[in-house]
Amino acid sequence: MSVLSGAVSEEQGKVEPFVLRPAAVGDDIDAVAPLLTAAFAEVRAALEAGRPVAVVVDARDLLGQRSPLDAGVATALLGMVRTFGIEGAKPGWRVNVIAGGEGDDDAVEATIATLPASPLTGQLLQVGGANLGKVVP
Amino acid sequence: MSGGTAIVTGAAGGLGGRIGEGLAAAGHELLLVDLDPAVEEVAAAEGTRAVVADLTKADGVAAVVAAAGEDVAVLVNNAGITRDARATKMSEADFAAVIEINLVAAMRLTLALEPHYRDGAAVINMSSRASLGNFGQANYSASKSGLVGFGRALAQQWAPRVRVNAVAPSLVDTPMTQAMPPEVLAKMVARIPAGRIGTPDDVAGIVAFLASPQASYITGQVLFACGGRSVAP
Repeated sequence: MSVLSGAVSEEQGKVEPFVLRPAAVGDDIDAVAPLLTAAFAEVRAALEAGRPVAVVVDARDLLGQRSPLDAGVATALLGMVRTFGIEGAKPGWRVNVIAGGEGDDDAVEATIATLPASPLTGQLLQVGGANLGKVVP
Repeated sequence: MSGGTAIVTGAAGGLGGRIGEGLAAAGHELLLVDLDPAVEEVAAAEGTRAVVADLTKADGVAAVVAAAGEDVAVLVNNAGITRDARATKMSEADFAAVIEINLVAAMRLTLALEPHYRDGAAVINMSSRASLGNFGQANYSASKSGLVGFGRALAQQWAPRVRVNAVAPSLVDTPMTQAMPPEVLAKMVARIPAGRIGTPDDVAGIVAFLASPQASYITGQVLFACGGRSVAP
């Protein structure tokens, strides 16, 4: 799958996935709204350009296992992506959240590589085992 | 021992006022907060205190903290706005405004009150069924979903001293929904298995429960009070 998507993206640069990786805000509360607003604008621009979008968050933030502000950012992005998924049904937007934990970087990259050929949208794709047996965010 | 102080934001609105009444009935001393000076009339009618404050500003948060005292038993982050539009038509200013008021202001107040919570205190964030995604509400669903994650983290960091939970209603009968075109509202209510719009009492009762000792083993959770809307087609 990754080989196929790589070939497609080389021939048609337009379908190269747009990958958003929000910076950690830590305890900088003033950074939260600007970060989320920029994420909204960037994701929208990519979708309107016809690119699949992956918003990559840390699975531990979805469960609130680290900084409260980063947890707020991660789950806010999930809510936003779900709405983009709903609104994008007609134009055919494909936008998803990919969540991995520590040591899951390769699995996250492998999942991103499947996006150009994938019909999935509005989904939370959890890779690795960090969320197993936990509440679905 | 007294019931301690219960702070309710957005208390000039129909839902916030009713939440306050429920907490007062449970023995808490109310501190009602709103940007709208009408909150003073609501407080006067209840015989309680009010603070007129803009929680997006540092001095507004400071005013609430100063009035809160040292025995905060309940904080209900209820203040919120909507600025609906399809994402393609939504301005960045409207996205940011909803995030600032619904999410970041709640973060500021919740964190600023940390030294003031009593043992066994409860923070209740008003989330929404729309946190799961809702047409025309990219900003609102982000803000209400953000509150859930923020609360989950605090629930773990502040346990066992303070519990943090969220309530996620669907449509609630308030001036905000009463302002909607009737045919639009009727179409939305038709998607709710319970067959009716939620009432402020429905939500106030759940907030009072989550604030009470009966909920002392519940933290880091979201309670969907949406008439079944979250699972319906």
